[in-house]
Formats: sequence, C-alpha cells, structure tokens
Amino acid sequence: MFSEVVTPELFASAVRLATPIALAAIGGAVCERSGVVNIAMEGLMLISAFAGVAAALLFGNAWIGVFVAVLASVLFSAIHAWASINLRADQVISGTAINILALGVTGFLMETIFGHPGTTDTVKTIKPLMDLPAGGGGVLGTIWQWVDVVFLSYTPLVYVGMFSAVFLTWAMYRTRWGLRLRALGEHPRAADTVGINVLRGRWVAVLISGFMAGLAGANLTLEQVGSFTENMTNGRGFIALAANIFGRWTPGGAYMASLLFGFADALQLKLQLFSDVIKIPPQFFLMLPYILTVIVLAGVVGRAVAPASVGKPYKEKG
Amino acid sequence: MRSKSSKIVALLLALAVMASLAVGCAKTPAPAPTTPAETPTTDVKAAMVTDVGGLGDKSFNDLSYAGLQRAEKELGVKIQVLESKEPTDYESNINQLATAGYSPIFAVGFLMTDTVTKVAPQFPDVNFGGIDIFFDPVDSNVIGLNFKEQEAGYLAGVVAGKLTTMTDADPRINDKKVVGFVGGMEIPPVQKFEAGFVAGVKSVNPDVQVKSVYTGSFTDAQKGIEAGKSLIEGGADIVFAAAGATGNGTAKACKDNKALFIGVDSDQYNTIDGIGDTILTSAVKRVDNAVFMTVKEAVDGTIKGGENKIFGLAEDGVGLAPYHDWDAKMPQEVKDSVDKAKADVIAGTVTVPESK
Repeated sequence: MFSEVVTPELFASAVRLATPIALAAIGGAVCERSGVVNIAMEGLMLISAFAGVAAALLFGNAWIGVFVAVLASVLFSAIHAWASINLRADQVISGTAINILALGVTGFLMETIFGHPGTTDTVKTIKPLMDLPAGGGGVLGTIWQWVDVVFLSYTPLVYVGMFSAVFLTWAMYRTRWGLRLRALGEHPRAADTVGINVLRGRWVAVLISGFMAGLAGANLTLEQVGSFTENMTNGRGFIALAANIFGRWTPGGAYMASLLFGFADALQLKLQLFSDVIKIPPQFFLMLPYILTVIVLAGVVGRAVAPASVGKPYKEKG
Repeated sequence: MRSKSSKIVALLLALAVMASLAVGCAKTPAPAPTTPAETPTTDVKAAMVTDVGGLGDKSFNDLSYAGLQRAEKELGVKIQVLESKEPTDYESNINQLATAGYSPIFAVGFLMTDTVTKVAPQFPDVNFGGIDIFFDPVDSNVIGLNFKEQEAGYLAGVVAGKLTTMTDADPRINDKKVVGFVGGMEIPPVQKFEAGFVAGVKSVNPDVQVKSVYTGSFTDAQKGIEAGKSLIEGGADIVFAAAGATGNGTAKACKDNKALFIGVDSDQYNTIDGIGDTILTSAVKRVDNAVFMTVKEAVDGTIKGGENKIFGLAEDGVGLAPYHDWDAKMPQEVKDSVDKAKADVIAGTVTVPESK
C-alpha cells in the first residue's frame, strides 16, 4: 500500500496545491518585513483570479490574463498601501476591508460582465513548461519518472514561485535593499534617521506583495482551474498568512511552510482512497492543514519573532 | 492631521464595504411579458429566496427558479426572487416576502433550515417550502421538499459499473475495474448520492471497486482537480462528482487525464463549458418539478403543509440526464441495464440504501 500512496504524483499534487499559497506567502513575508501587515492577500488573490479569467476570455490569451491579474492585484494593494502607510489607518482594518470589497466586486463584475453569478466560462489553461517523454522501464525509467513528475512537470508560474522564494531570500539577507527593508520593519525611526525613505520603502514592499498575490490568483485560475467561481480562493490567502509566520517572515521559509500545507492536503486526498484499509474518517485528514496552522500560530514550533514594528504606522517627523 | 485623515479613510473604507455588501442583495427579475389572453388568472404569488450561490449557479437556485418560471407561464402566478449574498440575508429576505403576501415561499437549500423553522410560525397564513430541507418537527404551514438522491446515484452507478468493464467501448476505459466518487461536504444529500452510486455499481458488477474522496468544500475547484487526479491515479476511469463547483475541477481533471465524468444535480453537459464527450450523463435532481408541483397545489387549493415530501424516480423528482455526445456510442447493454434498474426502483422491487 505504501508504494500506492507515496507516488511521484503525490508530491506533484502537493506542489500544485502549495503554489497559490506559496506565491502569496512569499509576498506576505516581504510586506511584513517592511512593517506592514498584509491581511488582504485573500482578497487580492480573488480579484486577480477574476481579472485574469476575464481578460483571458476577452483577449483569448492566457498570458494577457496573467498580466491583467497582476495589474489588478497591484492596483488593489496600492489602496492598502495608501491607507495604511500614507493615512496611517489600522492595517488590519484596511486589509479586511479589501477582503470584503474583493468578494463584492468580483460578484458584482461577474454579473455585469458574464450576466450571471456562479462560475465563468472556461479558458484554455497554460501548458506545463516542459513536456518530456515518459521514461522507459527498469530502475532508470523509474528514477526518470520521479524526476520528471516531481520536478519537471509544472506550469511556468510554479517555477516562478520556486525562483522568487530563493531570489527574495537572497535579496532580503544579502543586498542593501534587503537590509533596509528589514530595518523598516524593526526600527523605522532609526532607518529614517540614517536617511532611508520609510514610506517609499514600505510602498515598494506592499506593491511587491500585491504582485505576488496577483501571480497566486493567476496560477489558481489560468494554470490550474481554468475558470473563476465566486469565493474560489477558499481561505488560501489566510493560510498564506499563517505560512508566512510558520516560515518566520522569510520568503524561503514561507515557501517551505506552504509546501507543508500543500503536502498535508495532497496526502489526505490520497489517503481517502484507502479508507477501507486505514479506518480514519476523511474529516481527520481534512483538518490536518488547519491543525498545523493553529500549532504554528500558538508558537509551538519554536518561537516565531515578528518584526518589531510590524503593524505600526510610521509618521515622519515633519 | 492624523485623526482627520484616518477618519476620511475609515469613512471611505466603510462606504466601500457597504457598497460591496449591497451589491445584488435583492434583485428583481425583469417583469415577464404579460400575455393576458392565454394565461389563466390566479392571485397566487409565489417567491423564492436563493442560497448564497444565487441565481446563475446552474444548480438548485436556477432549477428552483425554472420551476417558478414554469408556474408563471403555465399557471399565471406572480413570481419573485430574492438573492442571499450572506447567510445573514436569509431571514430578512424571507420576512420581506412573507410581509409582501407571497405564498408559497421557497427557501432553497439545507442551510436555511433554522431560518424557516424560526420565521414560519410568525406567518401562519403563508406556506413555506424548503428545498433539500427535512423539517423535524414540521410546522403546519411548512413543506419539506426532499429528493431521493440515492435513486439518481443508483442509476449513475449502473452506468459506471457496466461501462468500466467494457474496455472496447472507449479507449479511456481501463481494465482495472475501479470507479471514483468525489464528494463536497459530507452532508446527507451528498452521502445519499454516494450510497446510491455504490449500490448501483455493485448491483451490476459486484467486483468493481468504488473509491471515494471528500474535499470538504463545494467551491474549491482546485481541490476538485487534485481529488480527481488522485482517483484517476488510483485506477478510476469513471468519476462521479457530487460536489458543486468543486466538481467542475474534477471534470477538468477527467478531461485532461483521459477519464470519464458523471455530473450531478443538473444536466452538467450544458453547464460545464467545453466538457464534450468527457461527460457520460448526470444524476439530476428535478428541483424544478418539485417547485412547480407545489405551486400548482397552491393554485388548485390543495396545498397541505405540515409534511416532508420526498421526490424519487417514481415522482419524476430525480433521474438521469441524456447521454448527449455519448448517446451513439453508449453500448445498448448499458442503456438496457439503466432502463431495467429504473423500472425496478419505480416498481419497488429494488430499494436503494440511503447510506453505505
């Protein structure tokens, strides 16, 4: 039975389920490091998922859809940035407002553009980046099958997620921009005193987060599902928030945490097939990712130290 | 400065939230063209309150509305629809209709059970119909409209159980004798579909295995895809999904991975864009028939509250959708088995179980 459960597809499924969460969580890590909480990721994903499908249907090209999805998400994250950075509104309130707004706006536009609520028409989803031939028999063939399915079978944005996790972790710890970014979240007054533009730095971070959430929404609809359904994100933005904390506010950590959530989900979908052998109700597996989230938030897995000034608006001395 | 700008942004955000909540709270359908000469006149006014899925869900809400529209056309009743965007809209929508003199009022969906139970005693002269709701206890002005999902699932099971062994019928059918089931949440209507499906498969082919996966959501298409892929990898060549929009993902997984799909609730050949010959048929619930029959009783004056009605194959309350693209290549043996199973269930010689 073990060999039937632990298949290459199990890991591929985990990566596919993890990718929308991971893309958003990576952006969330950058955003929170700058001192701005981005609870709006759920809403940003929803808006970009919708905008992506609408544009792809209109122009008949999924890549234009990806572009519009990212654009829409960046625009909405600018609302969050303006409210929480320039106007110093409570960041959680501003983010929550965007989440609720996203539900309403997508529902409203659904009716005006498609004439009905529910689910949109289907777009042709983006193909996997590589389409490699299946391996032959024998040990080599099996190894090749594992490598092919687990690492090489994905659509482009999945690789963008992996790449940005590595790149942004490097940027955060090995570049001047990264040092400044972290300073903004730890002690913005000190950063300001040495001449760093706090407001501009935070704006950039929030927009990066919007960009990544846009990719997450695009991945969900344009690479995986192919159509938009109202509230189809189903809390992935909030899981991304948890993944970001689990990953200790680093892009790489956020990516790995998302993978864990994705794996728990893929595993429960797989294990249900063997419910005649494993006598555990499916609800148990369904709750695994959420239990993990609670454990993480309760601080059981090591102490998670947030950036010192996260959530606090910064006022320049004028 | 700080407090002033904060107030402004708070106000703007509050307005935005209100605007987004107000969207589509209550939508009045365009008045139907009146044809006074032909339509019989009646002063019955029938209405419905949708579940959060709203009109356009291509499922229960739309089907209920289709039943109302038929009543409007054939019986001349006035109709009205109020859409719920949030569960908190249920009560105000039902109250609004009851106050305006509509009766019967249909509450669409299991989730409105408590609301109807609470509101109904306040309007003793109004009849309330609950789609997919089994009332316990049931008030004298309340009718539960339930369906024998297991009978529709049974027929779907007969199709799948027969076809999965006929490897010559289509290249997508493998020799593994495994079929799959994808469920949304584990609630009674879904469990009944599953139980009927399993019974149907076993009735024609006891050695075919049925593997089930529940996704825990009716709106998560991505999970529907992964659940479908998981089943297909496990050997399933035909997958039956009773999972709302989650099932649309399963249909895509079937299409992409060269497996076959069976839809649910409405004829999903028409509702899933581009599904083509991936779909064999759908296990349908004729909510429209149940709604129409209830309105007709109101018009005829024979409507009787205080009971839970259960619509099965015999009442034309559930059934199997046409084969569409599969009509020509569906082996006659399968079609005959379905007809025989249907006759057996209606005659009462076969009783389909409600649970596994």
